[in-house]
Amino acid sequence: MKSMFRRGLAAGILAALTVSMGLYAQDFKIGTRTVQVHGFGTQGFIHTNDNNWLTMNTSGVGSGAFTDVGLNMGMQVTDNVRVAGQFYDRKLGKLGDWEPLMDWAMADYRPKPWLGFRAGKVKTVLGLFTDSQDMDFNNTFALMPQSVYPIDLRDSTIAHEGGDIYGKAKLPNKLGSLSYAAYGGRRADNMHSGYPYLLGGYGITLSSYGGPVFGGDLRWQTPLRGLKVGASRLNQIITGKGAFAGGPYEEHSKHDWTNQYYGQYTANKFHIESEYKRYLRDQIIFNGTAEIETDVRGCYVSGGYRINKWVEAGSYFSHYRVYPGGYTATTYPEATTHDYDKVVTGKFTINQYFTVKAEGHFMDGNGSALYPDGFYTAVNPTLAANTIGLVVRTGFSF
Amino acid sequence: MKKILLTLVVVFGSLLLAAQAQAQVVVIANPSIKSADVSKNDLRDVFTGGSSSIGGSNATPVLLKAGATSDEFLTVFIGKNDSAFRAGWRSLVFSGQASMPKTVDSETAMVDFVTRNAGAIGYISKATPHEGVKVLAVR
Repeated sequence: MKSMFRRGLAAGILAALTVSMGLYAQDFKIGTRTVQVHGFGTQGFIHTNDNNWLTMNTSGVGSGAFTDVGLNMGMQVTDNVRVAGQFYDRKLGKLGDWEPLMDWAMADYRPKPWLGFRAGKVKTVLGLFTDSQDMDFNNTFALMPQSVYPIDLRDSTIAHEGGDIYGKAKLPNKLGSLSYAAYGGRRADNMHSGYPYLLGGYGITLSSYGGPVFGGDLRWQTPLRGLKVGASRLNQIITGKGAFAGGPYEEHSKHDWTNQYYGQYTANKFHIESEYKRYLRDQIIFNGTAEIETDVRGCYVSGGYRINKWVEAGSYFSHYRVYPGGYTATTYPEATTHDYDKVVTGKFTINQYFTVKAEGHFMDGNGSALYPDGFYTAVNPTLAANTIGLVVRTGFSF
Repeated sequence: MKKILLTLVVVFGSLLLAAQAQAQVVVIANPSIKSADVSKNDLRDVFTGGSSSIGGSNATPVLLKAGATSDEFLTVFIGKNDSAFRAGWRSLVFSGQASMPKTVDSETAMVDFVTRNAGAIGYISKATPHEGVKVLAVR
């Protein structure tokens, strides 16, 4: 019944998107103020030669259980005040499960270019693309580099309930500009996300997962037009609660932080970017009886070139490695501690509303040890070391 | 046969020249924007959501619906095609960083809107009458 309701709601959002697009009814008035309505949606298909990927049954004929939709509304209240929010819903194999989410909803007050405030459920600024990873129409790739932007763990960093201080200031002597964001609040994961799903494979059923988060981002738009570099930091104090073997289960953070460093260069038809992310989580698990440290290090180099107004070619190399603290290499075979993904993509922009992407993934390793990285033992009784995947993804936005 | 080819070359050449002559875009602004000119970089920043001021004055971009004038403006001053340009704005909208700029249907409507709204900055073809707005030189 609940599933039917979710599907119905998702169908409703899709219908609203379609009607909005068809009628170009993209805004309405509240008093004298205009409320803008925008939306996006994607439908993907993935086939792999081996291993089921991203909780889908991809290794047979493939899987199309790869859909997401978003509906966005925003209103400029005054020159300096804006309110906006977005619903989001997705189905990614066993994840998402069509449970509609208030993705983010916030009020934004920006009295000066160098000083602004956001409050509510706010998108988290972390690296180049955390806050824009869902915007398939604007990304070259069907799947962002999974070492830094794992789609199965989207919920864990996408937004926080709290507030931001942010701004952008020009530097003297034509040294470019600096943008900053500092934030604090609380994270609350959806129970249809990758980490709860992973624990489910070990018989643990989580009922809540989240806690206080705080962090910041500083980026420098250099004097060389199109070149920016930056760094982000995220600290978290996470508690997970649920049930295990007929009793209660709890885990909590001892240390939980992320450092992310990045650079991007864009010039007319060309872009290249690279990021390095280190995520360290030291968790007290099984109701305080054990401690486990997971040190995840990911990086990638990606680039794209727009051949003409319809076609863009892109490629990336994504490097993921997990270092399980306190465990020997014999406990975790080499293939389970890394995933090196070589990717080639063709992006076809039909018009300003529609895109189609076709992408090849050539993965060495499955990174399945300890922390989610796309390959879950729950849908892979045995895991092969390497995987080749084809991803096709169509998207629209308005 | 040669005559036909020559005629085609002359016709297409004339059309090309006519198109180039027609496609001259000027940047217009509400007089509340104090500057008489704007750098290409600052103009690009305003029209891609990276900045909301020109020379210390508030600046709000106004877009023209897709067409020759819009295409030329985006190509020459912004360095993007229409799809990529609008996708960039939608990206800001979906991440909560901005609202989509107002889009007007015609160049006359553009002049009218820019005249009536403080801080508005837009673009039209040179031939369009533009009383009530100032033309910004682009450095």
